[in-house]
Amino acid sequence: MNFPKKRCVAMLLAGGQGSRLLVLTENTAKPAVPFGGKYRIIDFPLSNCVNSGIDTVGILTQYQPLELNEYIGNGQPWGLNRSHGGVSVLPPYAKSKKSEWYKGTANAIYQNIPFIERYDPENVLILSGDHIYRMDYARMLRYHEEHDSDVTIAVRKVPMEEASRFGIMNTNPDGSIYEFEEKPKQPKSNNASMGIYIFKWSILRKFLVEDEENPDSDNDFGKNVIPAILNAGHKMMAYDFEGYWKDVGTISSLWEANMETLGLNPAFNLYGDGTAQIYARNYALPASYIDTKSKNVNCLIAEGCEVYGDITHSVISTGCKIGRNAMIEDSVIMPNVVIEDGVIIRNAIIGEDCKVCSGAVIGGSFREGEKRQISVVGKNHVIAANQVVKPGEVI
Amino acid sequence: MKNIMGLVFANIYDSSLGQLTNKRTQASLPFGGRYRQIDFTLSNMANAGIRHIGIVTQYNYQSLMNHIGSGEEWDLELEEGGLEFITPYSQGINNNFRGKIEAIHGAGRSFLDKAPEEYIVLADASVICAMNLEEVIRAHIDSGRDVTVVVKAGIANANKQLDLAVHVDENGEVDDLAVDYDAPADYLASMGMFVMRCDLLMASAEECMAHNRFRFERDFILQDWTDGKLSVNAFEFHNVALFNESAEEYFRNNLAIIDRNVRHSLFRDDLTIYTKVRDQVPTYYGESCEIDDCIVADGCMLLGKAFNSVLFRRVRISTGAVVRNCVVMSNTEIGIGAQLEYCILDKDVKISAGTKLIGTAEHPVILNRGDAV
Repeated sequence: MNFPKKRCVAMLLAGGQGSRLLVLTENTAKPAVPFGGKYRIIDFPLSNCVNSGIDTVGILTQYQPLELNEYIGNGQPWGLNRSHGGVSVLPPYAKSKKSEWYKGTANAIYQNIPFIERYDPENVLILSGDHIYRMDYARMLRYHEEHDSDVTIAVRKVPMEEASRFGIMNTNPDGSIYEFEEKPKQPKSNNASMGIYIFKWSILRKFLVEDEENPDSDNDFGKNVIPAILNAGHKMMAYDFEGYWKDVGTISSLWEANMETLGLNPAFNLYGDGTAQIYARNYALPASYIDTKSKNVNCLIAEGCEVYGDITHSVISTGCKIGRNAMIEDSVIMPNVVIEDGVIIRNAIIGEDCKVCSGAVIGGSFREGEKRQISVVGKNHVIAANQVVKPGEVI
Repeated sequence: MKNIMGLVFANIYDSSLGQLTNKRTQASLPFGGRYRQIDFTLSNMANAGIRHIGIVTQYNYQSLMNHIGSGEEWDLELEEGGLEFITPYSQGINNNFRGKIEAIHGAGRSFLDKAPEEYIVLADASVICAMNLEEVIRAHIDSGRDVTVVVKAGIANANKQLDLAVHVDENGEVDDLAVDYDAPADYLASMGMFVMRCDLLMASAEECMAHNRFRFERDFILQDWTDGKLSVNAFEFHNVALFNESAEEYFRNNLAIIDRNVRHSLFRDDLTIYTKVRDQVPTYYGESCEIDDCIVADGCMLLGKAFNSVLFRRVRISTGAVVRNCVVMSNTEIGIGAQLEYCILDKDVKISAGTKLIGTAEHPVILNRGDAV
């Protein structure tokens, strides 16, 4: 079948194990981790694609893909159930000669060259499935095309003292990149790569094939492919992004990003400005019930909840039950958690489908300047009555 | 239950709901924070495995069609069967339906005649309940009667006019039927739900039309039962059923779901009520808000106070505003310091700062869609 050429196809890397999210990713791929009351992390890059007019998205999965597969389904919640394109979940699969797991980010794309070629795209956008942000990729694509760039890398300014934790792009005044340093000890600039790349497909394809033939390569974009393309003298541009962006790969950053959705003028506004909505798979849940005795201050509460207790500066996800005299502060409660009467939860993340029995105490409070330690309860756990989960403890 | 089809009437109580149905059908009237009335009827049918449903509607059906779409939320987007809208003028009938009979007769040619199903469930979209329809259908077949009418005790009170009042003897056998009757409390109220064989329905509709009889309850059920041509079985429904046949009932019943028992009877794990889902962010509760005994949907921004009220999606209550005993539909904004009691605010209403609107439980203040006060 002949279909029109696509201007840009997006490939979303969702195979990461997310081991730094500890128990939260024991049975769940990182992109499927709940966020912001009713979303999952993958909703953000997926919604960005849709809002940017990109209608063909390949999602590369590997680790614990079941939940993610079910969540994505036919892509209908994101408007990605298209007859040509739409969303495709791409696990590693057995090929005629050999079959293998994705060895690295570049190898994952390499193994899916046939998928990309079906759409004969001009450009390929590479995305990560573990960032919370709202971005118009169409603007980046225009920038990429206007500069006739071979590779365009989204960058954002980070504080100079933190620059050594990132991949740093050193640029000329015209925005072209002359050097890429992965976690430099003495950074020359503070343009940190966001892990968002647009490649001319013809260039990327060539370098993916070469990278695959190199037995010493880790088959990684940041470590191998991008330096190789740069060294070969191809035109590489940095695209400045100024909005909110957060890698939620650790417990503390996941907690922080959730807290940053709270407030009247939050650092990350889930509502947006009305143009770039975040889409999610929605379930048929009734509206929430808020009891007379409950007091809710500066918090988000999603649908299907029954709230009898007090909630302060927290995110309560869909389908949660919060008992009488329960007190929740500075915490993230993931979907379908039952919290019984008199439970106290502070500075914690409670995983999906947990049950916290009456009188249990999870986490503690911290004074200004003290290091905040987040307590974490993994998915599907039962915390016994009057059990104590210490600050920073992970169950 | 593959052998059963459904037929829903969307406009039956439009006139008695007044301004609430100015620009929508009674079936698409918002209810309970995030639903439309027809969601309950369709979900009850879908949960019983009914996969072929017709929706009879005659006017104001834009919002209904928008809401239902292809029926995918109820898993009714199917190759065979699925959802069909039955409207006048599309069946060679060049006038509005003069009653349910004419609608059924009109539907006959396209919808009923070709249907492979043996039985049909007819329902109005005016009674809010979560019902196990499989039980009703099985009871109907076991009864061996021509028609089963689903009835509810405790509705008749000698003041409310019932479309169809049913009296049963100590064995549960129907011993009296009456239409448009202010029945005393020992009568059971029809919930507007009937089960029968499709061929009987078609033949009866044909017969009625031949005699210019259009009203289903009066001209078919009552008439044929009185003439001894029709045997009627009554199925008593014991869970919560809310009859929304007037604006006052609609107001009272919305607030009724704040009660835990009512809520848990309507929203159960075993009988999910489906609706068109929308992408709304979770509701934000501000620093100084006070929300007591409320039903709150997604996407609201709550900075003021609300007591004993139902807040639909994207409602905004500004600082210092107080909302008491109100039904506030989607997208409505309540300005700083406004005071509202016993009001129904339709969608997209704007209440300016400091406005005071006080109704009563019997006569709530009703604002139309898009009103600015």
